[in-house]
Amino acid sequence: MFMYLPIALTSVNYMVVMGLGLFVGLLSGLFGVGGGFLMTPLLMMIGIPPTIAAATDANQIVAASASGTLAHWRLGNVDFKMGLYLLVGGFMGGAGGVQVIKILRATGGADFLIKMTYVVMLGLVGAFMFVESLNAMRKNKATAGGAPEAAPVKKSGGLLSKLPMQTVFEKSGVTHSAILPVALGTFVGVLAAIMGVGGGFLMVPVMIYMLRMPMHVVVGTSLFQIMFTCTEVTFLQAYSNHTVDFLLALLLLVGSVFGAQIGTILGRKLQGEQLKILLSILVLAVTVKIILELVMEPTLLLAYAGGH
Amino acid sequence: MVGTKISTNGLFSFLAGILFVVMALPAAQAQALSCKVAPNDIPINLMYNGATLTITGVSAPGDDLIVKVSSETTDVHLKYKGKASGLFWMKMGGMEFKNVPNIYMLYSTGSIDTLLNADGRTANMIGYDAIRAGVEMERSDGTEVEAKWFEEFLKFKKTEELYLSKEGSIVRKQGATDNTYSLTVDWPFQAPPATYTVDVLAVRDGKVVDKSSAPFTVAQAGIVKQLSGMAFNNSALYGFVAVVIAMVAGFAVGAVFKGGGSH
Repeated sequence: MFMYLPIALTSVNYMVVMGLGLFVGLLSGLFGVGGGFLMTPLLMMIGIPPTIAAATDANQIVAASASGTLAHWRLGNVDFKMGLYLLVGGFMGGAGGVQVIKILRATGGADFLIKMTYVVMLGLVGAFMFVESLNAMRKNKATAGGAPEAAPVKKSGGLLSKLPMQTVFEKSGVTHSAILPVALGTFVGVLAAIMGVGGGFLMVPVMIYMLRMPMHVVVGTSLFQIMFTCTEVTFLQAYSNHTVDFLLALLLLVGSVFGAQIGTILGRKLQGEQLKILLSILVLAVTVKIILELVMEPTLLLAYAGGH
Repeated sequence: MVGTKISTNGLFSFLAGILFVVMALPAAQAQALSCKVAPNDIPINLMYNGATLTITGVSAPGDDLIVKVSSETTDVHLKYKGKASGLFWMKMGGMEFKNVPNIYMLYSTGSIDTLLNADGRTANMIGYDAIRAGVEMERSDGTEVEAKWFEEFLKFKKTEELYLSKEGSIVRKQGATDNTYSLTVDWPFQAPPATYTVDVLAVRDGKVVDKSSAPFTVAQAGIVKQLSGMAFNNSALYGFVAVVIAMVAGFAVGAVFKGGGSH
């Protein structure tokens, strides 16, 4: 039941690791998030060093997101045009975020910034999604029984509609300036690089609330974008830092690719608002865990170097 | 008459003495402290989850034994946690513990404080106090390191199962010609590849009277060695393969689920 990991230099119960992969893959298929914000702490809990956990997680997300993207593509849920614009922004933001972290590490303020970004961003995103979904579910109940309205093509309002390069995103049924998804992609890329995650949990709310994309297209498009982001991260981490444990990734991806498929099937049985409220509860739970870790004295006051 | 009697008695005593020495010789030879560790080489292969070490040898019947399994002393670099802004616990900086063994496992036939005097413990690095006596602690920002941080270091190492101190687990068999001991050690998988040493000390009246040691090696083997070598020596190929396999696996499973996953 045990397998030795050559880069993490530790032995793990492979059933437990595959189980973790299945669980996080399920969330990935269900919500369109890579699950990095959840998987990295889970791996650290079973004894994987933080730097190896973060880098290897990116490797397994490549598999889970590829599996999920294919499933969503078959369902017609991937807006490739929007995904590419977000990806361009994401790559630029990621490169910028890495530089910010380098400067902060040199000045000694990186750890504080990372933790605070986690708490603030997860807390804001989770709380906003929770309240918004709750209101939407109430509204749906109130209007239940009425004739369904035809979905119009949504457009950016106010100043955003005056931006140049207005583009129609047919699959999502929205019209925005191409600058908007690139800028939002950059913003998420910066935060994702600071936090050391793929950024799916940030990208999903950005697509829903700022780009006004329908939930079913958001999940597929987010997975498409995450697949490329994590491909870049995996290669760079393996090449520069030697922190990708391929055997660990293999165990995780065995679970996660199946989990992603099950998640996609499950997602079709749930309504958009139900999905959003479940994701918000998950994000808020992780936020509470991080806050508790910050304010409660840890059992061990020493730790290996690396990680958050 | 008396003289003859004395002479006969003396001869008898002399012969009995020789007989005793001859009979006792193999036993005396067997009582010289020895140490053997099995296996000598521990391969870290794919299914490795630590190992069981068996340490055996011969010792004098009256002596107590202390067995130390350890690595060479080195400098251990860790991060320390503290309260930032008086409110949040987080990693504050680096802390170096110099001249400490990475692995330290101690077994004895009794309490080491009573078996061996303080000088003997320090000279042979027996017990956590002996490690404390030789350690140098440095903080990355150059500020003074309080003594309590060594306790934190011990706590960290014990949690990692890399430091251990245990009394009474050495099994001794004392026969007429043969006095043996044996010890079974659960070797932790957390111990990195290196050459380690088993030191056995025979102690009597608070002093070391005999020493014996045996080395053993822990090394990566098979696919573990190949993957590790590729990750460090051919990292671009390693990264490329990791990405391609993940992507192919993802798409392959996606294709398998075709019937159930789509309309």
